[in-house]
Amino acid sequence: MNKLPLLFTGLFLTFGSAWVGLVVYPVANLGKMQPLPDEETNGYFPPTVSGLAIVGQKVYAANGCMECHTQQVRPDPLATDIAKQLGKRQTVARDEIREHTPFLGQYRIGQDLSNFGTRETDPSAIHRHLYAPKSVSDWSNMPSYSYLYENRKIVGQPSAHALQGLTGAFAPKPGYEIVPTQQAEALVAYLLSLNQNYPLPESPEPTAK
Amino acid sequence: MSKDQSSQPDTLSSADRSIIDSSVAAPVILFFGTSIFWLLFGSFFEVISAIKLVWPCFLDGCGILTYGRTSVVSINALAYGWATPAAIGIGLWLTARLCRVQLAKYKSLMAAGIVWNLGVFVGVAGLLIGDNTSITLLNFPAYSTHILLLSFLLIAVWAIVTFNQRQSGTLFVAQWFLVAGLFCFPWLYATANQLLVWNPIQASAQPAIAAWYEGGFFNLWLAPMGLAAAFYLIPKTIGRPVNSQHLSLIGFWSLLLFGAWSGTNRLIGGPLPAWIVSVGVAAGVLMIIPALAIALNLHFTLEGHYAPVSWSPALRFTVTGVSMLVFTWIFTAINSLPAVNSVTNFSEITRGLHLLGHYGFFSMTAFGAIYYILPRLTGKEWPSSALISWHFWLATSGVLLGVCVLLLGGLIQGFALQDIGLTFRSSIEFVTPFRFVAALAAVLILAANLAFALLFAGLHWAILRPGTAPALIAAREENTQEPVAV
Repeated sequence: MNKLPLLFTGLFLTFGSAWVGLVVYPVANLGKMQPLPDEETNGYFPPTVSGLAIVGQKVYAANGCMECHTQQVRPDPLATDIAKQLGKRQTVARDEIREHTPFLGQYRIGQDLSNFGTRETDPSAIHRHLYAPKSVSDWSNMPSYSYLYENRKIVGQPSAHALQGLTGAFAPKPGYEIVPTQQAEALVAYLLSLNQNYPLPESPEPTAK
Repeated sequence: MSKDQSSQPDTLSSADRSIIDSSVAAPVILFFGTSIFWLLFGSFFEVISAIKLVWPCFLDGCGILTYGRTSVVSINALAYGWATPAAIGIGLWLTARLCRVQLAKYKSLMAAGIVWNLGVFVGVAGLLIGDNTSITLLNFPAYSTHILLLSFLLIAVWAIVTFNQRQSGTLFVAQWFLVAGLFCFPWLYATANQLLVWNPIQASAQPAIAAWYEGGFFNLWLAPMGLAAAFYLIPKTIGRPVNSQHLSLIGFWSLLLFGAWSGTNRLIGGPLPAWIVSVGVAAGVLMIIPALAIALNLHFTLEGHYAPVSWSPALRFTVTGVSMLVFTWIFTAINSLPAVNSVTNFSEITRGLHLLGHYGFFSMTAFGAIYYILPRLTGKEWPSSALISWHFWLATSGVLLGVCVLLLGGLIQGFALQDIGLTFRSSIEFVTPFRFVAALAAVLILAANLAFALLFAGLHWAILRPGTAPALIAAREENTQEPVAV
């Protein structure tokens, strides 16, 4: 194999075959997937997400949340994700179509978030968790996102958005309040929108045997 | 096969060689020097991230230094600041040497080197202020990847021109790998950026492409470039041809084919059509073939001539690096089996295999190549053989310690994550002691990189007393017959 043309032909065939299979095929097929109409409510599966949640996706990406959190539920019997109640069914390609980037993740340094919005529905609890993770569970190894919050002096009326329920060392000084920035509000809206509890024909919920 | 010269080291006179070497000196030194800066930068951020994993309160509450940013800065600075320019520097030097061409116009290469580093700087700054695409190894924001691709195109044009002017008709095995790497990287990088970063396609199609890129970046870019260096240096330093032409062919083409398809083995159970995952699993397992073909070929080449490994820094680093590559691919093959992967996926094992491949293989091999190349470019010798020895042992112990604890800790963490009877909290508590040792390993690696940077600085600016003889890290044995190029 001493000729450059021969080498290039071989490279073109080996590399090109994978390029066709792993790039062109997904673009041509998976890339044109549509949401399914829901006849009962005239909505769609997966449902549309709010504008604030879309902004929140960017905050999620910017702070590298994906470095510690996955967003994929693997099917039975390969994994125990469903038994561990990370979700009721496997995550499939159609679940991703509302995202800008699919945050599948590689590490479960923190808990899987595919269905976080079904486990936690109280925005102020999520704010407390983001602001001071150790105030929620003292063993947590999640970093604090206190830089997404403003610690400011109360002038006149306290803000209606200020964090409630912070106690002990995490509570603001008297006369001060912790107020979420727009980024924090968007991130919480995004986290609340994480919900794959809608039916998709290609991903049936496993039935009890 | 009688006319086949592809397994013979080149037969230039040393005078011709030094003319060719000096013609590429400036750009190659530029690429190496800047890459060593990013090596230190990246491994420093790796230490910060590793400490943060054990003590989340370390440097907490600061947006720029949150774990999610320091860890991507470290991975990307090492991949695009250190590994890629080091691979380019090795590639430039090998291209000029193996094509037997001296370069009249290297200004475009200097420009490419400066533009590349500008791109990495802009990308790292973007990550720190939060412009992260959140795609592994493609985290740099769009405005920096345009710059990087422009720089690489300048280099690719130069490489094609040089290959066309080449004086030697035959292609040496090292050149196959070289051409493969230089051919695959721009294709990989341009495709992935176009479809995922610049004009993102619908997210349902993105995971397959992201996995294809991540697998390709290692198997089709770093691995061929490191192996190009190994297939040149090992035969050259011991003065013997590559053992088997057939094993070279098998190793090369099986790497290209299976490497190109093996990315999706990290998405077992993920949101992809089953056949894409199955192909990835099959290709990942079949990576055993290039691993064995390349390992056996280099082993038979070295058999009976292993002695120089003890005194030649270039050979010692290269042989260590290639053996770690073999383990990377064997572990990856095991990790591709769905039954294993259902436990190990999402655990620290992923991080351990990344460390073994990117640092254990590529960085060690690149160190070996730089130890060989720089004295020949500058005409100066490495200033301290003791420091080279420190570099070797710190790097080797750091990698081995880190990989061992990440694989073992990851296994325990994986079983805890899988076990229905255990809470998530248990998985954190089980793995924390292992993460503590992994942080120590990151410190060892940073120390090794500091030793290397010091050697580079000493060679250049004579901070340390310049060496007069080749720096050997052990006494050379008197009874060896063959002349050995250090």
